[in-house]
Amino acid sequence: MPEAERQRWGEIVSTSTIGFISECEELHCIPPLGSLVLVHGVQGERIFAVVAYGETSSIDPGRRIIRRGRQGLSDAALYEQNPELKHILRSLFHAVAVGYEANGVIHHVLPSLPPPLHYSVEVATSDDVVQFTARPRYFSILAHYTGEVPTDQLLVAHIRYVFDARGRDRVWLEQAAREIARVFKQDYDRLLPLLESLDPDAP
Amino acid sequence: MTDAMPIDFTAITAPLRAVVETNVGTTRPRWNVLQQVLAAFDEAEVLQRLASARTSWLLARTHAGYFDHFPSPAVPRSYRVVATDGSVIHPDRHTPLRYYVLNVGYAILQYGAICEALLDVETQLCANDEELYVTDRSRRVPVAGAVLGIRRAVAELEAAVRLVSNDISLSTLAILDGTLILWGLEGLPDFVVSWGLKPFLAALAAFREKRVPVAGFISFPGSSDVYNVLRVAVCDYPLHGLPVNCDHCRARIVTEGHRPACDQLPDIPDRELFEKALALQPGERSQVFQSSSRVLDHYPPEDRIVFFYLHTGTEVARVEVPAWVAADQEMLDFVHGVLVDQCNRARGYPLALQEAHEQAVIHAEERETLLTMIEQLLAEHGMLLRESAKQRSKRGRYA
Repeated sequence: MPEAERQRWGEIVSTSTIGFISECEELHCIPPLGSLVLVHGVQGERIFAVVAYGETSSIDPGRRIIRRGRQGLSDAALYEQNPELKHILRSLFHAVAVGYEANGVIHHVLPSLPPPLHYSVEVATSDDVVQFTARPRYFSILAHYTGEVPTDQLLVAHIRYVFDARGRDRVWLEQAAREIARVFKQDYDRLLPLLESLDPDAP
Repeated sequence: MTDAMPIDFTAITAPLRAVVETNVGTTRPRWNVLQQVLAAFDEAEVLQRLASARTSWLLARTHAGYFDHFPSPAVPRSYRVVATDGSVIHPDRHTPLRYYVLNVGYAILQYGAICEALLDVETQLCANDEELYVTDRSRRVPVAGAVLGIRRAVAELEAAVRLVSNDISLSTLAILDGTLILWGLEGLPDFVVSWGLKPFLAALAAFREKRVPVAGFISFPGSSDVYNVLRVAVCDYPLHGLPVNCDHCRARIVTEGHRPACDQLPDIPDRELFEKALALQPGERSQVFQSSSRVLDHYPPEDRIVFFYLHTGTEVARVEVPAWVAADQEMLDFVHGVLVDQCNRARGYPLALQEAHEQAVIHAEERETLLTMIEQLLAEHGMLLRESAKQRSKRGRYA
């Protein structure tokens, strides 16, 4: 299967300078909170974004979701027995732009142009993640994003994701923690719990 | 919230109360009469009266028990249902173009070992003369209003025939929203009747040839075919040795101040009769009745529409099928079972029809988009669309 098809998880249905909303190829197949996705921009650059929110709802906002289950029919079986559901529901995720790669160089700043509507969104491979996060100087972009999910939760989810994607790279984790400390140095009350959440050895 | 000019409710509250009280006051005793009439119903006698009755009302006919109930058969384990529903963008007199848009939504749902769904819509722009007018040598009738309604009904039925595949491995039911009796043709010129009937009857025949049942589903039906039979049952004309003759009786109300015998019954539609008086239970259907609609004279006997009432769980609906479907007990049970299952899935209304409707519905924004497209296309040729002053005043309301 071609690279692009293997990785395509969604299509952009709303776009702006700070990020985009993508409709998922398959119902419920939303990339995890904090994971990295990427999309090609108009100038050939690859824009990296952090998944900041996901939801599944009715395609038509005028149609309410009602209970479909009955005795003996629930969960996955419910979907099998109601084949029209996958046509009338959709899964979406929001992604925050945190940088881009152009001509082999990584830039941890917002892309100058938003990615186009209807372009494919791919999930970043391990190599992409390692390359983009080598020097984690983009946390301030995430820290200043306000969305549905509290920013601290988003940061923790992202850092944990990168830590795993980098093969539980502790050296990198320490770098990340130092960066967090730098971003939140004025807010000690916020910083401590954040650092505690990042501790891989904590119960 | 704006201060709109309210209607003067104080002027209508008292009269409204009086209307309600009168209604309630007359209804209760009439329901008692209804119960008595049902208890005393003599089918043989009523069938005799029906044979010679002259009424302008539609009368339901059946050879077997009028008030029999039939419980839901077992739901088929696997089946396919094809539902179509049409909507129309009507001709707009604000544009110089002559057109209408037919939008037929459809839903094909399959259940069994493999469950599948296909939801989509077929949109058609009708702009050439054959689509805009029904012609007959010297006369020309525009396809608008009731005639456009016929066109839509034909489009829905034809789409359903196309979508019913030739795959006979899975039993299929086609469902349409609304009647299969082309009432709209009554009173129209003969050439328009032929224009409407020809494709409609051809499609009905196609279902019969494929041995695929087709049903029209009518929610909240207003018909009183069966109830009208009760009127015949209580009529006092036969007591005087006369055949039942509603036209004669009604005329006497004015000339003699006569009170028809059937006025002692409550004025209710069949759905209320079956739900409240006859206690049809969820999943049950009534007897199958023949309709006395004159339009059916144009239908071949096997395709003449018969009907039954079905309790969907939340209401009593009317289901219409061609006679050949009802004549085959297995097929009738299949239709009954599938409809019960479909209604169970969607709170009292067939799920496939609901999905077909969702596909067909045309939102206000889409109508606006169409007008905008026309404006732009005309503008490319240097033509401006002129709105009427009335239209402009509605778009921008000012004081």
